[in-house]
Amino acid sequence: MARKLDDIFNECYERIRSGESLESCLRSYPQHRAELEPLLKTTFDIGRRVSYIQPRPEFKHWARVRLESGQRYPRQETPAETPAASTWWRHSWAVAVSIGIVLLLTTGSTMAASSQALPDQPLYPVKLATEQVRLAIAVSDTQKAQVQTELVQARSAEVEAMANADKMEEAAKAADRLNDQLEQATLAIAKVEGTESQPPVYVPPSETTPPAVTTPPEVTTPPEVTAPPEVTTTLAVTTPPEVAKPPTTATTDNVTAAKTKHWKGSLEQSTISSLTALKDAKEKASQEAKPDWQKAIDTISKKNPPAQDTGEHNAQSDNNTTPSPVSPSYNRHSSPNWHSNDR
Amino acid sequence: MLSEEYLVQQAVNGNQAAFTQLYNQNFDRIHRYIYIKVRDRAEAEDLTQDVFIRALESISSYKWRDLPFAAWLFKIAHNRVIDHVRKRSKEKRAPLEEAYAKSVEDPIQMTERDYEVYQLKAALEQLPEAQRDVATLRFIGQLSIAEVARTLGKSEGTVKALQFNATASLRKVLYGKLDG
Repeated sequence: MARKLDDIFNECYERIRSGESLESCLRSYPQHRAELEPLLKTTFDIGRRVSYIQPRPEFKHWARVRLESGQRYPRQETPAETPAASTWWRHSWAVAVSIGIVLLLTTGSTMAASSQALPDQPLYPVKLATEQVRLAIAVSDTQKAQVQTELVQARSAEVEAMANADKMEEAAKAADRLNDQLEQATLAIAKVEGTESQPPVYVPPSETTPPAVTTPPEVTTPPEVTAPPEVTTTLAVTTPPEVAKPPTTATTDNVTAAKTKHWKGSLEQSTISSLTALKDAKEKASQEAKPDWQKAIDTISKKNPPAQDTGEHNAQSDNNTTPSPVSPSYNRHSSPNWHSNDR
Repeated sequence: MLSEEYLVQQAVNGNQAAFTQLYNQNFDRIHRYIYIKVRDRAEAEDLTQDVFIRALESISSYKWRDLPFAAWLFKIAHNRVIDHVRKRSKEKRAPLEEAYAKSVEDPIQMTERDYEVYQLKAALEQLPEAQRDVATLRFIGQLSIAEVARTLGKSEGTVKALQFNATASLRKVLYGKLDG
């Protein structure tokens, strides 16, 4: 009995997702090429469009922080007394900011204490809320980039503290937070530079588009689908081509360039310090714990490979953990790895 | 890398790090799934948060043998979206175009990327419900055929047929083309 076309279509879709080329799959079913090819190209196009849907970095970051806080400090109220979880979350941003403002105005000592709080301490949520207030009152792009850079330093210090205290789970979470913060700081600096990423050029669907879809599966594979917009959204801070500027803006441009250079250097230093602390902790850890430390290292190093080696620390560590000596992510521009317009 | 089943077991036993890892693995695709089904970013963010809160609240009663974890998570998301749309339908509903335009400051400056996503949302809205459910879980949620079947309570054969028809319908709606 002949196989149903929907079954063959599904097989091809799965094969392409697993890395095969469209052509390879079509060759397996030459009698169905005419029906399969346009439909499979449609799935690629859907995957490309879907890849543009990305949660805002700050939303993703705060959603996780709140979830973790909720895990760490479970609510004690009875269900009858507790507002719906969704309501609590929905308003938690405003609540966090409000708490921060109230603390800012009323309890300076608590604020001061919280500024040094570490992720495993009760005042840590206060510290995070306070930081949001700082961000909220930063008006200009320059101020925002400055605050975001300082927050990277704070996150980095937390990674170091947790690593030095041999608190692997907390260090891993801190590494995650540092990663998110690096993304936000990079975006903020890019805004100051005026080099935010541009959306891809829309090309209307057309049958006459060359059908050279040889490596499309990345688009429909979840991790790859996620990658392109993330890269373009968070890392597309390429230094723009040198353009002659009017003499009157030269001084301002020099100041901006100096500031952004300083911020990027700070991000770089924070990344290196955190990686060094994590690698040191990994060195001291038991064999069983080393893979977990490595994961924390990878969290940072895969997305933010530092431009320079960390010297003796790297020399001591596992080769796999040593970030490649490539340009720092803060200056890196990457494009989605699949731009086919075939449909 | 730890298997999902192991992570889920750890999370069921109250391991925070395990749940966080599951959260990290699924957050983006749950958000994408919800975003494509609701009107705007704010609604999508609210519902995405709700889904993970509900998952956290009920993880202790989760059983792997009943439903794969991703399918379980998408089932929560699916039900939340249905509840949300039902409530919303009682309100005076803005047309999709209007609602979407509200989510950006200036429609003229709407990026081509947003426009393409909008086209996809609009195309999905035109599909029959069964096709739309399968297409959304499969192409946006990236679930396997088996997971989609478990989530929707349909056979795998039915899901494959719906997937095929949904793709053909989307092609027709997106590009105005009929094949075959």
